[in-house]
Amino acid sequence: MAESPNNSGGGQKPEDAPAQTEHLNIKVTDNNNEVFFKIKRTTQLKKLMDAWCERSGKSPASVRFLFDGTRVGAHDSPETLEMQDGDTLEVHQEQIGGC
Amino acid sequence: MSLCQNRLQEERKQWRRDHPFGFFAKPVRTPQGGLDLKKWECGVPGKDKTLWEGGLFKLEVSFPEEYPTKPPKCKFIPPLFHPNVYPSGTVCLSILNEEEGWKPAITIKDILLGIQSLLDEPNPDSPAQADAYNLFKKDRYAYEKKIKNIVRENPAP
Repeated sequence: MAESPNNSGGGQKPEDAPAQTEHLNIKVTDNNNEVFFKIKRTTQLKKLMDAWCERSGKSPASVRFLFDGTRVGAHDSPETLEMQDGDTLEVHQEQIGGC
Repeated sequence: MSLCQNRLQEERKQWRRDHPFGFFAKPVRTPQGGLDLKKWECGVPGKDKTLWEGGLFKLEVSFPEEYPTKPPKCKFIPPLFHPNVYPSGTVCLSILNEEEGWKPAITIKDILLGIQSLLDEPNPDSPAQADAYNLFKKDRYAYEKKIKNIVRENPAP
């Protein structure tokens, strides 16, 4: 289901009234470089994340991907995360607390 | 649709298109599964090269029906140890005050970036809570140590 506002304010309209296209353009940024990926709604994001790591020369274990402040799991897809065309994934350095 | 709802929908659209790295801002889900555009959950990361680096601090931002004529209320959840944050968690900041710096042109992005700057630049001339204010004034070393602990307890996801 697409993210949509509730009815409390009057009219009901999906958040961005997106065309339900088959492919989405997703921006991946590490705060340094931006890369765009085209991905099917139902494709697991693992594929995109692996591709990003491959071209950036990073090990998948050394980074984490966030969407809307939440960590993206290997089995998530644009559909499960309710992503829209033009949304952004952030790549952060993996870190461990404590010293 | 009301001006308030229209504006909030546009804000969310702009945010999805582009937002500062490490931040998040999204309307909350209602129990019915829709979105409550007048209540957002947001995350503000500590600025790099400050005491706050590595932390992510969560806020609830509530918009009044009169928004954007009136500013939203920003509340840290849980309440944050900071001289300019009330014990309830509500942020005390000029740009969020209708009588001071609020302007309808201020966006959610401006607000969250403003709050990020406030973390490391407290204003001791306008304290909102006694604990953080007193420690900041009396024992800067202990204050900084406390902040480092808070950052460790609130790591980025």
